[in-house]
Amino acid sequence: MNSPLTKLEKRIRLAGLLLIAGLLVELGSLHWSHPTAFLFFLLLGGLLMAAGIVIYLLSLVSVESR
Amino acid sequence: MTGTTTIAVAVILFSVALIAWLTFRPSITATRGGKILAFVALLVFPVLAGGMGVNEHIQHSKTTNFCLSCHVMEDYGKSLRVDDRSYVPAIHFQNNLVPRDQACFTCHTDYTMFGDTNAKLRGLKHVYAYYIGKPSEPIKLYTPYNNRECLHCHLGARGFEESEAHSKDPEVLVRMKSNQLGCTSSGCHNIVHNIPSLKEATFWKETDK
Repeated sequence: MNSPLTKLEKRIRLAGLLLIAGLLVELGSLHWSHPTAFLFFLLLGGLLMAAGIVIYLLSLVSVESR
Repeated sequence: MTGTTTIAVAVILFSVALIAWLTFRPSITATRGGKILAFVALLVFPVLAGGMGVNEHIQHSKTTNFCLSCHVMEDYGKSLRVDDRSYVPAIHFQNNLVPRDQACFTCHTDYTMFGDTNAKLRGLKHVYAYYIGKPSEPIKLYTPYNNRECLHCHLGARGFEESEAHSKDPEVLVRMKSNQLGCTSSGCHNIVHNIPSLKEATFWKETDK
């Protein structure tokens, strides 16, 4: 049976999911040549990726491993 | 898809795969190697992919297709194909005097140190006007067209320097080069996009090579 995730692992998982979402938004925007694609990339993709990176960095400094 | 786009897509897909692995097995970050992997996957690669994405979007935004993708620009795209040598954009576009895939950007960027940056900032202003404000009717340049943009290519060219209209009076070239006599506003090359006259215009049909 899997052991429950630590707080750090939970935050890494959340950061990872946000980053994956942001990268997929970026991937979609690259295949669309329209000004809206840039906004989509910057506002949605950028926000998701920034949130993922911030959560990851915060997890390093604020959560005890166990 | 261009080479840089392919690389950007590859970096994004690799990042997604790496992050997905970490997301579904976060326990690997307990080891030293796992911590380094997490740092690379959750920080280094996303920043790299984001930077490449910004660069790709900036490159896309220079293309003619990008500029003409907005409804308000459709007629300006048509004006590139008018079958009339007096239309300045048409003659440049049809004779490959500007790269066809970057026709708008080539003439509408500023050839100064931060010209490309300024052009992109103006582009953001266009997006704002398109979605939130109201584009002016008809569309106008923010500032009068500067001869500098024409001279970037034409300066020193024999056809430009020695043409009868330019060289008959030596003052003409001096005034043009100092932007005192506008190329497009002096009555010489004043037929630019000329949107109202497009209804009566005939258009060039490119033959298949």
